[in-house]
Amino acid sequence: MANFDLTRINCQYLDRHLTFPLLEFLCGKEIYNQQELLEYILETVNKTNMIDYTMDTRKRLNLSQEMPDELVQRKAEVLATLKQLQNEVAPIMKATDILKNGESMKDSKTFVNALQKDYNFKVEHLESAYKLAKYLYECGNYQESTSYLYFCLIVMSPNDKNYLNVLWGKLAAEILTLNWNTALEDLTRLRDYIDSANFSTIQALQQRTWLIHWSVLVFFNHPKGRDLIIEMFLYKPLYLNAIQTMCPHIMRYLATAVVINRTRRNALKDLIKVIQQESYTYRDPITEFLECLYVNFDFEGARLKLHECQTVILNDFFIVACLNEFVEDARLMIFETFCRIHQCITISMLADKLNMKPNEAECWIVNLIRNARLNAKIDSKLGHVVMGTQPLSPYQQLVEKIDSLSMRSEHLAGLIERKSKQNNKESIDSWKYY
Amino acid sequence: MSRFFANGSDSESESSEEEVQAPNFNKASAFQFSDDEEEVKRVVRSTKEKRYENLTSIIKTIRNHKKIKDIPNTLSSFEDLTRAYTKALPVISKEENGITPRFYIRCLAELEDFINEIWEDREGRRNLSKNNTKSLGTLRQKVRKYIKDFEEDLSRFREAPDQESEAEDEEAHVSDAGDAADDSDVGFKKELSVTAPKLAKSAPAKVVPADDDDSDDSIDWDSDTESETESSEDENQYQNMRERFLKRSTEKGEEKIGDEEKRKDKRKEQKLKIRKRAEDDEDGEWETVVKGHVVEKPKMFEKDAEIDIPLVLAKLVEIMSARGKKRTDRRLQIDLLFELRDISDQHNLGVPVSVKIHFNIISAIFDYNQKISEPMKMEHWALLLEVMQSMMKLLLANPDISISESVAEEHEEYAAAPFYIRGCPLAAVERLDDEFTKLLKECDPHSNDYVSRLKDEMNVVKTIELVLQYFEQCGNPNERCRIYLRKIEHLYYKFDPEVLKKKRGEVPATTATSVDVMDKLCKFIYAKDDTDRIRTRAILAHIYHHAMHDNWFQARDLVLMSHLQDNIDAADPATRILYNRMMANLGLCAFRQENVKDAHHCLVDLMVTGKPKELLAQGLLPQRQHERSAEQEKIEKQRQMPFHMHINLELLECVYLVSAMLLEIPYIAAHEFDARRRMISKTFYQQLRSSERQSLVGPPESMREHVVAAAKAMRCGNWQACANFIVNKKMNTKVWDLFYESDRVREMLVKFIKEESLRTYLFTYSNVYTSISIPSLAQMYELPVPKVHSIISKMIINEELMASLDDPSETVVMHRSEPSRLQALAMQFVDKVTNLVDVNEKVFDMKQGNFFQRGNMGNRGDRGYNRNQNNQGGNWGGQRRDNRNQRNRNQRGHHKNQQQQQQQQVQTIDEE
Repeated sequence: MANFDLTRINCQYLDRHLTFPLLEFLCGKEIYNQQELLEYILETVNKTNMIDYTMDTRKRLNLSQEMPDELVQRKAEVLATLKQLQNEVAPIMKATDILKNGESMKDSKTFVNALQKDYNFKVEHLESAYKLAKYLYECGNYQESTSYLYFCLIVMSPNDKNYLNVLWGKLAAEILTLNWNTALEDLTRLRDYIDSANFSTIQALQQRTWLIHWSVLVFFNHPKGRDLIIEMFLYKPLYLNAIQTMCPHIMRYLATAVVINRTRRNALKDLIKVIQQESYTYRDPITEFLECLYVNFDFEGARLKLHECQTVILNDFFIVACLNEFVEDARLMIFETFCRIHQCITISMLADKLNMKPNEAECWIVNLIRNARLNAKIDSKLGHVVMGTQPLSPYQQLVEKIDSLSMRSEHLAGLIERKSKQNNKESIDSWKYY
Repeated sequence: MSRFFANGSDSESESSEEEVQAPNFNKASAFQFSDDEEEVKRVVRSTKEKRYENLTSIIKTIRNHKKIKDIPNTLSSFEDLTRAYTKALPVISKEENGITPRFYIRCLAELEDFINEIWEDREGRRNLSKNNTKSLGTLRQKVRKYIKDFEEDLSRFREAPDQESEAEDEEAHVSDAGDAADDSDVGFKKELSVTAPKLAKSAPAKVVPADDDDSDDSIDWDSDTESETESSEDENQYQNMRERFLKRSTEKGEEKIGDEEKRKDKRKEQKLKIRKRAEDDEDGEWETVVKGHVVEKPKMFEKDAEIDIPLVLAKLVEIMSARGKKRTDRRLQIDLLFELRDISDQHNLGVPVSVKIHFNIISAIFDYNQKISEPMKMEHWALLLEVMQSMMKLLLANPDISISESVAEEHEEYAAAPFYIRGCPLAAVERLDDEFTKLLKECDPHSNDYVSRLKDEMNVVKTIELVLQYFEQCGNPNERCRIYLRKIEHLYYKFDPEVLKKKRGEVPATTATSVDVMDKLCKFIYAKDDTDRIRTRAILAHIYHHAMHDNWFQARDLVLMSHLQDNIDAADPATRILYNRMMANLGLCAFRQENVKDAHHCLVDLMVTGKPKELLAQGLLPQRQHERSAEQEKIEKQRQMPFHMHINLELLECVYLVSAMLLEIPYIAAHEFDARRRMISKTFYQQLRSSERQSLVGPPESMREHVVAAAKAMRCGNWQACANFIVNKKMNTKVWDLFYESDRVREMLVKFIKEESLRTYLFTYSNVYTSISIPSLAQMYELPVPKVHSIISKMIINEELMASLDDPSETVVMHRSEPSRLQALAMQFVDKVTNLVDVNEKVFDMKQGNFFQRGNMGNRGDRGYNRNQNNQGGNWGGQRRDNRNQRNRNQRGHHKNQQQQQQQQVQTIDEE
C-alpha cells in the first residue's frame, strides 16, 4: 500500500507542525515500520521547542525514562526566552485587553491610533509580539499563538515584511487548534494576499503550491469546504496550473472532493479532462476509477479500482473521513452511468459491479427507486432491473431545441439591452459636462 | 652573361619578380633603354628604378624651391616626397635590406639644415610673408617629426658625407644652375645622371650583386625559361604548397627555417602558386592580380630584422588594414597571413600572437567571398575548418588567454600572461556554420557530392564542440547561450535510437542520450537567456527533439507552457520555419502515440494551405499569380533547409489524411442529415471530392488515392478493405516504413481503423436494426467484446447513438424513431436558426471582447494551446460538436438548470 501513500510528498509542502498529525496517523496504520516512524518523529520534534512531545515520543520509543540533561537544559532555556518575550509584550497586551472592551476595537485604524496615543505603542512592540507568537507556536502552544497573531494582523500594515509570515502562521495555528471556521477565513485572506502581491512567477507558484496543500486540510474538515475545494482547485486557473505543474498528486483530493459532492456533478466533465491530461504524470486508483468509468466505460475496471480506492482512502490522512461517503457516491456513479446506457440489467451482474451481495444490491436499488432518484422497475421473477427510459421522440427533440434557442436569444437580448442602457447612461453622463 | 650564369639560381627570385612586373610599365618610361638593346622588344625597368626616379625628381624640386625660399611649395613637395618614399618603401626594404638610400637621407639633412637656418634668422623670418611664416611652422614641425625615424641614418650621414654624394651634389648644383625655364630638359638629364651612380651605389647592398645593365638582358631571358618550367611544375608545386601549409599548421615549430634561402624559396613558390591561380581563375581577376597587387607584394620582413611581437603585430595590422578595400587581393592576403603565422611560429612568439593571426586568417577567408549569398570555395572551406580547429585547440590549451569582443584594440596584451586579445570566436564559428549550410545548399542533394560534403558536418560539430568547451571555461552566460543554440541546431533533428532503447530499458538508465544533452543545453538557455529569440528557438528545437523521440507528453507540455502560438507570428521567418517544422514533427509524434485528434490539430495549419513544402522551407513552389522578383527568390532560397534536415512531405500528408479520415468519416456518418455539419478537414474533403468527380475510379496508385479508397471503404464500415488500403506493400514502402517502429504504428492504425469503422457502421446502419448483438459485432470487427461494449457505451453516453444496452441478451436496442418529413424539415429549420443565434452571439462576443461561450474549454485554455487552435480555426468543428452535445444533454432535464448555472458562472468569472 506504500506505493500510493502521499505523506512523504505532502509533507514537503507542509509546516513542520502540520506534519505531526499526518505522521501520527501513519503510526496507527502499519504501512511503515513503527520504530522508524517514531524515530523520524523524534527527529522532527527535536527541531521544534516542544519538549513534552519529545519526551512522549521517547517514551514510545522505549528510550530511558530519564530526561537527558540536554533536554532539561533546553526546557529551561525555552521557558526563559518565553518569559522574556512575554515581558516585552505584556504592557501592550494589557492595553489591548482594556481597549478590547471599548469602542475603539471596531476598526484597526482607530485601534492603532488609540494604542499609539494612550499607551506609547511602538513598532518594536509589534516585532516582539510577532516573535512571541512564533515562539509560542514553536512550543506547541497554538491557542495563545493565535491571539498574538490576531493582534499582529490588526496592527500590522499589509506592507510589513512579516505580514505574509503572520498570515501563514495564523493559518497554521488555526488548523492545529482545529478552528476550521477561522482557518477558512484566514485561508481566504492569505489567498487574496498571494494573488494580489507582487511575487515573481516562480515565487507565486511556490506560495500557491503551499497554500494548496494547507487548504486541503481545511477543506476536508469544514462543512463548506467541499464546494470550495472544487471552486479553488478546478476553476481557478492559477491554482489548476499550480497543481498541474507542481503537484499533480493533489488530483487525488480534487477527485475525491468531486466524487463526494453530489451537487457538483457537472464538475466531473472538467475534472476528467484534467485527469486525462495529467494521466502521464500522476495516476492512482481514484483517478483511474474515474477514468475507467467515464472515459473507457469499463465497468469491470471501475469495480476493481473502487476496491483499491477504499484502501487508499483508508490510509490517507486527508480524506479518511470521507471513506463511506466516497464508496456510496462511487457506487451511485457507476449505477447512474449504467442506467443511462442500459435498459435492462440483471441484479446479480449489478451487484457484482457494485461490490455488493445480490440481496444488498436489490435493497439498495429499491431504496433508490423509492427515493424517486431512479425511474425503473424490478422484475423479480427474472432478477432484472428494467429502466423506464422512453426514447426521445423527434417532436420532443424539436421542442427542446426551440426551448434552448429562445433561452439563448432572450439572454442575448438581455445582455444587449443592458449594454445599450449603459451606453445611454454614459452618453447622458458625458453630456453633463458640456 | 657569365656572371648571370654563375648567380643564376640565386637571382631567379629577384628576376622572377621583375618579370611579373614587366607588363606593368608603359612604353614611355622604357624608351631610355631601347637605345642600348636592339633585340629586346619591351624594356624592363625595375620598380626600384621607377621609384627612385620619382624620388630624385621630387628632391630636385625641393632644392629648387629652397633656393628661392618658396616655403609653401617646399612644404607641398616635402609631402610628396614622403608619400613617394612610403610607396618606394617595399622596394627599398626588398632590394636594399631596408637601408634608406643615401640620397634620400641627404635630402632630409639638407632640408633640416635649411629650415634651421631660416628659423634661426629671426630678422629674415619677420620679413617673411604671412603665408610663408605659416608654412614654415608646419614644415618645421613635419620635418622634425618625420626625421625622427631616420635619426640614426642622419647622424651617420652627417659624420661622413662621402665622396660620391658630394660629387652628386655638385652635379646637382650644376644642373640647378641651369635655367628653371627649361626645367623638363634639365630634369631629364638629371634623371639619367642620377640613376647611374645611385644604382652603382645600391648594388653592393643587394643580396645578389648583379649588374643592372646586364640584368636587363638576362631578366628577359630568364623570364622566358621561367614561364616554361613553371607550366610544367605548377601542378606539383601547388600541391606541395598545400601540403606545406597543412603541415605547418599542425607541426609548427618543428623545423627551424631560419636562413634566407629557404624563405626566399618558399616565397617564390607562393608567388608561383598565386600566378597559377590567377591563370586558372576565370572570373576576371586575372588582370587585377597581375597589374596591381602582386607587384606590391611586400617582403615580409627585412632579412636581418629582429622578429619580435610588436613587429609581427605591426605587420599584421598592415596586412589587415588592406581588408575591405576595393583593390585588395583577398587571396594574397590569406597567403600573407599564413606566411606571417609560420614566421611567428618559427620565432616562438607565443600562443597569443599565433591565435591573433589565426583569427585574422579566419576573417580573411570569410572576406574572400564578397557575395554573401554564394558559398565559399571548397579549398577555402577545408582551410577554414583547419584553422578554426587549430585556433580553438590553442585557446583551450592555454586558459590564460582571454579573447573577446570586449577587449579594446589598445588593451590587447601579447607579451605576458594574462593575455588579452580582441576577437570573437563565437561570431567566427557562427559564420562558419552558416557557410556550411550554404555549401550544402549549393549542391544537388541527390548526388554523391552532397553526401561527401555532409561528412564535414562531423567536423563542424566538432568545431562547435571546441568553441563550446572554450566558452564553458570562460564565457559569460550570453555567449554560452549562443554557442549552445548552435549546438542545439546541429542536434535537434537527429534521431538517437538509444533514447527509445533506454525507454524500453534495453540500455542502462545512466546512458547519456541526445535527449539528455538537449535537456541540459535547453535548460541552461531557459534559465540564462535574455534575448527572446534564442530561447524561442531553443524551445522549438527542444520540442522537436522530444517529438522525434516519441516523448509526446513532454513535447505537448512544452508547447502548452511556452505560449508559442500566441506570438510566433511576430517572429522572424527562420524561427517561424522552425515552428512549422516543430508542429509537423509534433503531429507525427502524436500520430505515433495514438493521439489522432492531436495529430490532426498539429498538422491542419500546415496542410490546409496546400503548401507545406514552402512552409517547411523545403523547396519553392512555382507561383501562378505573380512571379517572384529575383531578389525575393534569392531571399527565399536562403531560407531553405538543407536537404538532410527535410521532413518527408509524403509521410506528413499521409499522416494528416489518415488522421483526417479517422475523424471525418464517422463524423459524416453521424451527421448525415445535419444542416449544421462542418468539415473537419478541408484538404481531406478536396481529395474525396476530386475522386468522386472521376467517372471511372481505377485501383489506387498514389498515396492519396489509397487514402481516398480507404475512406470509401470505411464509409460502408468495411474495415478490412480500409485497412488493406492503408496498410499494404505499396504504402509501406512509400510511407509507413519511414517510421522508426513501423510495425507498432501499423498495428495501431489497424486498431483505430477497426474502431472507427465500427462507429461508422453503427451510425450508418443503426436505423435498419432494432437490435444488434454485441458479440456478433465484436466478431465482425475482430475486437474484444469489452472494447465493443466500451465503444457503444461511449456513443450512447455522448448521445451519438439513440440506443441502450440490454444486458441479459447482450444486445444493443435501437430507439431511433424516424422523424417524419415535416419533423425533419422543422429540425433543419431549427438548426439554421440556431446557426443564426450562434453567429449573433459570436458577433456580440467580438464586440465585448470576451469569449465566454467558449469558456467551457477554459481549464485548458489558460495554457494557451487550445485557445489558439480555436482562433486559428482548427478546432472549430470539434468544439462546436462539444457544445452541442452538451446542449443535447441539457435536454435530459435535470441537468439543464445546473448547466445553465454553470454557464452563467463561467460568464461572470469572465466578466470579472
